[in-house]
Formats: sequence, structure tokens, C-alpha cells
Amino acid sequence: MAAADSPSAALRRRDLCSRGIRLAGKMRADVVDLLDAYVERQGLDASASVAAVEGVPPAAVERWDEQTGTQRLLENLAAYRAFRALLAQMLEEQREQLGDADAALGRALAAVLLQVSAFAYHLEELLRLESRGIPGEEGAGPPPPPRLSLFEQKLRGLGVLRELAQWAVRSARDLRQLAKPSPAAGSAPGLAESP
Amino acid sequence: DSHVQYERVGADVTMKCGSMDWDAAVTWTANGTDIDESHLNGSYLILKNVGLSQSGQYSCYEGSSWHLKYQTYLRVGTPPKEPVLMCRSNNYPKGFYCSWHLPTPTYIPNSFNISVIHGTKDMVCERDAVPKNRCHIRYLQLFSTVKYKVTLTVTNALGKNFTTLTFDEFAIVKPDPPESVVAKPVPNNPRRLEVSWQNPSSWPDPESFPLKFFLRYRPLILDQWQHVELSDGTSHTITDAYAGKEYIIQVAAKDNDIGTWSDWSVAVHATPWTEEPKHLTTEAQITETTSASTSSFMAPPTTKICDKGAVVGSGAVAVCWTAGLVVAAYSVLFI
Repeated sequence: MAAADSPSAALRRRDLCSRGIRLAGKMRADVVDLLDAYVERQGLDASASVAAVEGVPPAAVERWDEQTGTQRLLENLAAYRAFRALLAQMLEEQREQLGDADAALGRALAAVLLQVSAFAYHLEELLRLESRGIPGEEGAGPPPPPRLSLFEQKLRGLGVLRELAQWAVRSARDLRQLAKPSPAAGSAPGLAESP
Repeated sequence: DSHVQYERVGADVTMKCGSMDWDAAVTWTANGTDIDESHLNGSYLILKNVGLSQSGQYSCYEGSSWHLKYQTYLRVGTPPKEPVLMCRSNNYPKGFYCSWHLPTPTYIPNSFNISVIHGTKDMVCERDAVPKNRCHIRYLQLFSTVKYKVTLTVTNALGKNFTTLTFDEFAIVKPDPPESVVAKPVPNNPRRLEVSWQNPSSWPDPESFPLKFFLRYRPLILDQWQHVELSDGTSHTITDAYAGKEYIIQVAAKDNDIGTWSDWSVAVHATPWTEEPKHLTTEAQITETTSASTSSFMAPPTTKICDKGAVVGSGAVAVCWTAGLVVAAYSVLFI
């Protein structure tokens, strides 16, 4: 763990956290804009309740303040990897449904997908810095979901974007927790293991 | 026997004298004062179209013996209207509180019951001792997209009513205003004011949940505010104050990512540093008063109108270009 405790590692961690916080903030702003556009283009009701969507990692968490730094990083990484796959699927569906008819929506989706990928990579960097093994992505992934109707696809897309917006807020908070100096000298800031 | 009787404003009320027959001779009193027989129908007391002022203790006495036969406390009031409910988180991420009131009084006792549901989960909103019309709830989950549904029911002896609020976790986040706002002049700087403040003490973790701030300021003599949004830090230097003018300054706060702006802080007043001391000579005071009254929307003459970079020429004929313009303008007037 010596590498994780060195002054240069601490600086690098702080730098990664600061950049990650900014990235999460930009991502959230873009997701909120995308949500508005998506609701309008897909003819949905913005206040529609969407039941928990299978495969979408919920941002909701209990005892958030008690999580260790490693837990935060691992949960965030798992979430953004899932969103990467979900957004890619949405992009594919959107192209099938609308083709070039709504290039703007497609571009906005692609831009958010890029940010999600970048953020996932950022989280991997933070985990590497802590000499933590980066969990491999599940090989072939989960089996493809059953073919949904067009309306179900649209509702699922709404659920994905809403949950992603929540995650972007949570991630900024998680990174701020990580960036906090540790109370105990010599221990990795914000990354103390729970016993 | 004695009991409480609730009646609506405007109702017609008939009171029986306990078990006395209709034709029994009785005397009714209201708060100890005899009631005229014109209000009686036999031994029944008839009160038509009761008003709030008719609330009180009504007693019925047997005619000759003056034995108390019946007593009731009449309380005239109204059923409750739809209550006004507000929920807010000023201590995010710890929890939120809800408070309520009735838009119009009922004049009789009311009881309130509040229920909070998050998805399918019932949550307990703990009543505050003070104020009585408030309860608070701790978040069990954070970052949830599932909405909270709060239902407040108000009941009294004449009826009931309710209202429901539905909101998500982020929407109700509204910090308290910043505290300890201080504004000070900056020595030797007639256009600056240094403003500092503190995070509201109710905000539990400003490090993980930083606040951003909105500062507004104006001279007392003007109505229009200047605004500055600050994404970090709890201080700011105003650099465009009008010299010698008293300013009013306020600050508001908002979570960096979610929710709405707080109310404005308590206003503070400050006047920028001025060169002349307060004990001016009479001539100097007249000069300053004249200058100030003719240039209320321009930088007053006590302010330097020449920055070093605006000087043209050198030596004895060095002239500030703005002073040159003023001189030229006056020259044109008097030609």
C-alpha cells in the first residue's frame, strides 16, 4: 500500500477526484438536457413514473455515508459499465427506429455515451492508483433482454437516463468523499477498509 | 351533566335542558348571564344562525329550585379547509422536515396526522415539540428516483380535510441562508467592499455537499441590484462600488448540484473607504455636496477618474484623457 500513501499518489488521487467531479458535473448537465430532448422527441410524459428497469443500476443507496472508498469506486465502476452498454443499446434502437430522422438526438446520446465511457475509465484509474484489482467486465454479458415493444423501449430509455442523472450526482458526492483527507496519518484518504 | 358541544358557524342550535320535559319551567344562562325567554321554545334553548361570539358556557336551571340541570360548553367553529403543507430539506443529506398550517382558523381544536410513503415503504415523520406543526424525517436512502408522498389530514369535530405533496429527494433541497454576513470597507480603496459569510450551521457537511452562493448588492439610493454568483469560497470583494455611498448587501446559498436557492440572508450595510475624514471643513462639505448632487449616476468626483494608464502626455502637461474630455465639453458650452 506504500504507493497509495506516497505524496505523489495523494496528489494524483486529488487531481483525479477533482477532474472526476468536474466530469460528473458536465455529464449530469448533459444528461438532464438529453432527458428533456428525449421526452419531447419520444412523445413521453415527463412526469411518467417508470418502474425499476431490469439491468439499470439504481443510484439509491442506504447508509451512503458509511461506505468505504473502495466500495464507492467499485459500485460506481459497475454502474457506469452498465450504463455504457445500456446507452449503446439505446443508440442502436434509436437508429433503427428513426434512422437519420433525428440525428440531433442520436448525437446527444452518443456524446453522453462517450462521457460515460470516459468516466468509467477515470474510475479505473482511481482503482489502479489504490493498487486495487480492477474487476473484469463480465465476458459475454447478461443474456439479451426480451425484445420490447417500441413504447416499452422508450420507457426503458427514460428510466435509463433518469437513473444516470442520479448517478452523476452521486458520483460527484462519492468523489468528494474520496478526496477528503484521512483523519489517520498514513492511511489512504477516504479509502479506509472496513474491518 | 356537563360536556362540550361543537357547532358550525351559521347553524341553528337547539339545546335541551337535560332530561327536563319540554314544558318544564327553566332558566338558561350564557356565561352566567340570564338568557331572554324569547330564545326559548318551552324548556329548549334555540340559538339561530350561531356566530363565534356565542361560544361559551350554557347552563340550564330548574325554575324555582335553581338546581343546575344541564351544562354545556358551546364552541362555534368551522370544519377545516384544505391545509397548506410544505416539505423542505435544509440539512441534506440527513433528512427533511414538513410543516403545515390552516389557511383560515377553525376556532375549535384540530388534530393533524401526517403520513410519508417512499415507494411502498411507510416512513415515520417524528413530530417536533416546537413548533407543533412540524415533523422531521431521516433519509434512509440517498439518490433515489422514487418519489416521496406526504399526506396531511386535519380533523376536528365538524369535519376533516387533507392535502398531498409528491416530490423527489432533490427537489426539496433548500439550504438556510448564509450566516454571519460581514461587509467591510477596504482601506485606501474607495470602490471596494470586502464581503464574507459562513455556511448555514444547519448544513451538516459542506465539504462533501458544497454550497454555491449568490451575492446581491446595491447602493441605498438605487433600486437596481447587482448580482454575482460564486461557485466556491465564502468571501468576495466588490470592486465597483460607488465611492462614499452606503451599500446594502445580501447573500443566498444553494447546493452545488441540486435543489433551490435559499432565502436571502439578513442584509448588511457598509460604505466604502473614503479619503477625507468625516470631520470636513464647511467649504469642503459644500463642494462635496454640490458634486454629489450633480453626478448621481456617474462616479462621484471624490473617486479617481484617472487611472495611471489613462494619462496622456508627460511632465507638466500630462493630462488624463477623461479630464480632457470634461474640460473640452465645458469649453464648448461657454464658447
